[in-house]
Amino acid sequence: MDISFSEQDLQFKEEIRSALENEFPTHVREKQNQGISLDKQDMIDYHKFLYTKGWAGYNWPVEHGGTGWTPVQIYLFLNELAIANCPTILPFGLNMVGPVIYTFGNQEQKDKFLPDILQFNTWWCQGYSEPGSGSDLASLNTKAVLDGDNYIINGSKTWTTLAQNADWIFCLVRTETTNKKQEGISFILVDMNTPGIEVKPIITIDGDHEVNSVFFTDVKVPASQLIGEEGKGWTYAKFLLAHERFGIAAVPVSKVSLANLKDKTANLQDLDLDRKIAELEIDLMALEFTELRTLAAIVDGAHPGAESSILKIRGTEIQQRLTELYVEAAGQYILPYEGPEGFESNRSPAGPDFASPSVASYLNFRKTSIYGGSNEIQKNIIAKAILGV
Amino acid sequence: MNLNYSDEQNMLRDQVLKFCETNYDFTDREKILKLEDGYDQNNWNQFAELGWLAIPFAEENGGFNFGPIELTVLFEEFGKALVLEPYLSSVVMSGTLLEGSSLPHKVSLIEKIISGESHISVAYAEPSIGYNFYNGTTSVSEKGDDLVLNGSKTLVLNAQKSDHFIVLANKNDQPCLVLVDKSSDGFSMLSFQSLGGQTCGDLTFENVVVSPDAMLAEGDAAVTLFNSMLNVATLCISAEAVGAMAASYQKTVQYTKERQQFSQPISNFQVLQHRMVDMFIETEITKSLLIKATLQLDSGDPEADKTISALKVQVGKAGKYIGQQAVQLHGGMGVSDEMSIGHYLKRFTVIDSMFGNTQYHLNKFQAS
Repeated sequence: MDISFSEQDLQFKEEIRSALENEFPTHVREKQNQGISLDKQDMIDYHKFLYTKGWAGYNWPVEHGGTGWTPVQIYLFLNELAIANCPTILPFGLNMVGPVIYTFGNQEQKDKFLPDILQFNTWWCQGYSEPGSGSDLASLNTKAVLDGDNYIINGSKTWTTLAQNADWIFCLVRTETTNKKQEGISFILVDMNTPGIEVKPIITIDGDHEVNSVFFTDVKVPASQLIGEEGKGWTYAKFLLAHERFGIAAVPVSKVSLANLKDKTANLQDLDLDRKIAELEIDLMALEFTELRTLAAIVDGAHPGAESSILKIRGTEIQQRLTELYVEAAGQYILPYEGPEGFESNRSPAGPDFASPSVASYLNFRKTSIYGGSNEIQKNIIAKAILGV
Repeated sequence: MNLNYSDEQNMLRDQVLKFCETNYDFTDREKILKLEDGYDQNNWNQFAELGWLAIPFAEENGGFNFGPIELTVLFEEFGKALVLEPYLSSVVMSGTLLEGSSLPHKVSLIEKIISGESHISVAYAEPSIGYNFYNGTTSVSEKGDDLVLNGSKTLVLNAQKSDHFIVLANKNDQPCLVLVDKSSDGFSMLSFQSLGGQTCGDLTFENVVVSPDAMLAEGDAAVTLFNSMLNVATLCISAEAVGAMAASYQKTVQYTKERQQFSQPISNFQVLQHRMVDMFIETEITKSLLIKATLQLDSGDPEADKTISALKVQVGKAGKYIGQQAVQLHGGMGVSDEMSIGHYLKRFTVIDSMFGNTQYHLNKFQAS
């Protein structure tokens, strides 16, 4: 047993670290450090920086323009991004649709889509959930009917993250009504500029506009944009879920957040808060090592399945507890409401500077135990796959 | 990066597993509980024959030169079967202290531990000092060429079977560790049963004369040695707890699959499924900290102290949660003495209480 990283890996980490120190776009860094939310152009600049460094395809194979990094390198890379306070990489193109296209798409689709995903010339969003299909995703009802060389899509998607910025959407659609609901689902790529698509904002309880409803009315999509085989979409969707194992626990981000919390609350002399912070630190230490155990298993050639659900459940619980502790530390000073556009009349409220952002994060992060397969669904997965009940 | 156990470590695990399967089902254990010693001497002899009593000792002392990894393998399996034999006190605790001491005749003492002939226990607790083991009043004074020991110790594991005791005492207001023969004049012992079935003892020393050769360590050296023993011992009972956690959730899953109510196995009920998933997750999370602490102790990492405290906090919390839920999901059977499941809860309760409980280690973690 040996948990240490090799000399080569440590050198790799140093290279990433120093490149981030010296080359990370300044305007993005400044906003990040001041806790100002990034706009669309900032996100594009950030992702284009990743591409320029050759890091965009950090978990893609070389043959598709990726880095071909080992699992350990990917792990270290994501850690360094968090330590440098980088924004989270938008997963929809790079982690979700990209791998589906290079694994199940045809050559024409690969040539058409992959370079733009890597270069962040296209912003992708995910069309999975529907008003009537959340945890029971396979019950989805958005229909795609073949008409000559096109599919005609009707229906609606919801909770579509940053659809307001997106150029393309990848969708699960029903191409056939079958006895087994998983079997009639297909995976299709849709240009957001196609006539008949309407995006309506959903404002979340933190006041932010992050998610949307997307409505499809007689949307005509070339059949050449269907990935793989008709009716196999569920298989591709499941592949996609299994693809992203790291990052799901958000350990490095939580570590940075915890360190900041300790820093900001050091002079409060709040023993009860200090104790809760210590308990969280222990839980985070345990989660970090659990992730390392998963990494070691992958290095060893294993394919962890349901074990990843532990990372999701624990990771999101810890993220949420962190936001709760910020709110607790802020006390009564959470009262002034700072909307996404900042305070009205530029007033600067009383209390610590983290007070207002903390309550927004707290409210926003309730999403983490709901999205990506709710924590209850994750427990169903573990119950079935590991406990056999 | 490699978190696999070596072939040798896996062989050890298989061997312990096989031993427990053959000699330690719940009925075997119930019989052992009725024995006066609190454990089975035949089992102890087998431990010696299998070489287990030699595991942590250096080769020059007749041992196998194994370390924390092998000890945790052994204790994890012990935890699953709720093994009662006094490996912790007679091998881990006294062994660590003897091996790290400057005692001139330590090799012969270690040999007798390895052969199973001799038990030595460590006496560190006193009635009113809680976990502040260095605050005790038992003291050593000089009288001519000899040392004289006065005071009392309590909660000494397996005291009635031990022929020697390593006593944590003070000499000139400095901590020291001194070896006392139970046949010494002025030594007396009162043995009692402990929670869970093993035996414990109260020791009293009234002008017990010991030779200066019996001093294991003094001052800072004694503190360093005793603290390192506490770390290894805490690691071992944590590994035992992890084994007991795994057994608890697995037995619970098994039971709920068999137990029928409302014309179906109660494992069909989602509320129970999720509870058992939580028990499984807590087990895995605890195991993560166990491995982290084991590797840090093994490599002499200075962060090990802090990780051990984190581990002990997690063991305390998870043990309580898993133990209680295992009982709950067994229903009335869970509180029956004739079922094994309640005995795991007892063991978790004892393990939390030893070498600093959850609160104590949370304080220590915060202060470090």
